[in-house]
Amino acid sequence: MGDLRIEKLAIDYGARAVIQGLDLDVHDGEMVSLLGPSGAGKTTILKAVAGLLEPSGGNILIDGHSVRGVPPEKRNAVMVFQKPLLFPFMNVSQNIGFGLRMRGQAGGETARHVDHILALTRLEGLSRRKVHELSGGQQQRVALARALVLKPSILLLDEPLSNLDATLRQRMRELIQTIQSETRMTMLFVTHDQSEALMLSHRVALLLDGRLRQVGAPRQLFHHPADPEVARFFGGKNFFQGHIQNGMYHSDFGVFAVGPQDGNGHLRTATIRPEDIRIVPRRAESSGGLAGRIVKTNFEGSATRIVVACSAGELVVLTSQDGFLPGQEVEVTVPPDKLRLFPDA
Amino acid sequence: MDSPSRPDGDARTRRGPDAGGLVLLLLPALAVVWVLFGGGLALGLVQALGYLPVAGLGELSWGHFARVLTDPDFIRSLLLTFYIAGTSTSIAAGISILTALLLASLVERSRVIHFMFQVPLTVPHLVIAVAAVFMLAPAGLFSRAAVALGWIQTSADFPLLINDTWGVGIILTYVWKEVPFITMMILAVLRQSGNALLDVGRTLKASPWQRFRYITLPTIFPAVGAASLIVFAYTFGAFEVPFLLGRTYPMTLPVWAYKNYSDIDLLARPEGIATGIVIALVVMLAVVLAQMLTKAARKRGVIL
Ligand SMILES: Nc1ncnc2c1ncn2[C@@H]1O[C@H](COP(=O)(O)OP(=O)(O)OP(=O)(O)O)[C@@H](O)[C@H]1O
Ligand SMILES: [Mg+2]
Repeated sequence: MGDLRIEKLAIDYGARAVIQGLDLDVHDGEMVSLLGPSGAGKTTILKAVAGLLEPSGGNILIDGHSVRGVPPEKRNAVMVFQKPLLFPFMNVSQNIGFGLRMRGQAGGETARHVDHILALTRLEGLSRRKVHELSGGQQQRVALARALVLKPSILLLDEPLSNLDATLRQRMRELIQTIQSETRMTMLFVTHDQSEALMLSHRVALLLDGRLRQVGAPRQLFHHPADPEVARFFGGKNFFQGHIQNGMYHSDFGVFAVGPQDGNGHLRTATIRPEDIRIVPRRAESSGGLAGRIVKTNFEGSATRIVVACSAGELVVLTSQDGFLPGQEVEVTVPPDKLRLFPDA
Repeated sequence: MDSPSRPDGDARTRRGPDAGGLVLLLLPALAVVWVLFGGGLALGLVQALGYLPVAGLGELSWGHFARVLTDPDFIRSLLLTFYIAGTSTSIAAGISILTALLLASLVERSRVIHFMFQVPLTVPHLVIAVAAVFMLAPAGLFSRAAVALGWIQTSADFPLLINDTWGVGIILTYVWKEVPFITMMILAVLRQSGNALLDVGRTLKASPWQRFRYITLPTIFPAVGAASLIVFAYTFGAFEVPFLLGRTYPMTLPVWAYKNYSDIDLLARPEGIATGIVIALVVMLAVVLAQMLTKAARKRGVIL
């Protein structure tokens, strides 16, 4: 059992309200990412759930019981911090067994549990190592193991991978994913990295300026952002202004058939993802797209990011094709079915 | 982009001298220290071995050391010195741990408290010893206050705290003087790594007592140990406080050494110096141990 419910949570630091009216449910066995830019209040929320910080309002329920006023050591939630914060005066297995010993578990049983977790986190052979003899990635795995061994209802992970290099981060993501699916432990995973959140979680909760802007499946947030700011956070660059008229969206960038919509005549914002725009070199006979000229190209490896100046404004295009050059005349096409219309502002 | 011909810019970005360069720079100062200290010690050793032509002593021998080391008075002095240094250090360490914990939890950044703690650090021991005489003596401030408050009949009823058997006055003086020092050392460590680790302990379900026992104590242990050893070394070798507040018999080793050294009988001099060298050995041992603790702490990422 591992059920977390956050109701109308409010947290201040002195006079500054950092979190306001935040609601979030994490269900048993679920992996939810709390995604947000630096300073959004992610750590603050985790600390409140762990009990390290007293909220100024709202309620937190773990397994259906309110934990208001319950100290962290009596809550069935364990937090893994942004930095490993291992105990420097203990070796690896002493660090991992710490929580079990504090619980008063017998030595033999503790050793058995620690061995199991060492294997799960691929740390076999390092059990006698001193903490300062470990690499950053190993330290982070020990921190993870130290929390996992307690089998909490809820595991709270605060950007545990942010200090690792790209390769190691990828391996650790896979490790966390494997552990999650093997143990079915409920996890709330904080990150500022959108691809990490999309890859790891069953659901993503996007936090901007202390408020949850959208909660949903990774694909839903990515393809159906609730508002332009959510879209922008996921790399949205192209925003159109226009209005609906009989199933057609009229904008500066052209008229698109978007099907029947409410709010005839209302002003609506729309967006198109850079990778959904098609781009071709301009030829004598037009293919029906928008004419434009390339302002800038950025090679990003698997794709090239191209800024195209059209008469209505600039569009950012992401293409896997090579060979586009600044100054080149091109034609871009916006597929109407990929256009995302936001609800009325 | 970078233009190589910008000497001022280069100078600004140049990093400090490495460890080797630093030693070179410090060499003159180090040489003076070593010649004065090491030379003094060597001279002392020669004299302690019995080379003192003025007094008609010309042969080197371990005789003075042997005589000193087997003298029952020396043994009594040695025990008394260990007792005073050990007791005052232990009491100061205990009080310092409690004070540091209290301060760390109460005031994160109070400058006033900081200042209050730094004052005793700068007051010379001699001044404190004199102040202790004024306050603790049978006719001192405390005794008179106790009489005035009606706690005791006459100042003769006031317990003997100065020139007493148990060295209470000396120990109190040392405790008062050393607590701020040890406390500051502990506070520095607690500020560096204490609170974050305690949060880890809380989320890993350690009770308040367990957090103190298994996190705080091991965290501050090197600091307490190193600071205590330094304080121990100091109190073991210090002369002025036991000279003013101690009894005439037995004396602490430093007082005994001084008495012997300044005796009109020049023959007592080598014994005084031999005693001084014994003191120096104990002090150096304590300092080396303190250094080892500091090194161990640095390995764990704590800078003392
Ligand atoms: N102890 C504190 N006192 C006052 N303000 C704080 C404190 N801790 C955090 N804040 C502020 O609260 C806001 C949220 O901080 P928090 O650490 O929760 O952000 P975060 O989302 O975890 O950021 P990051 O991704 O950089 O870790 C920030 O604006 C921060 O400046
Ligand atoms: Mg954070």
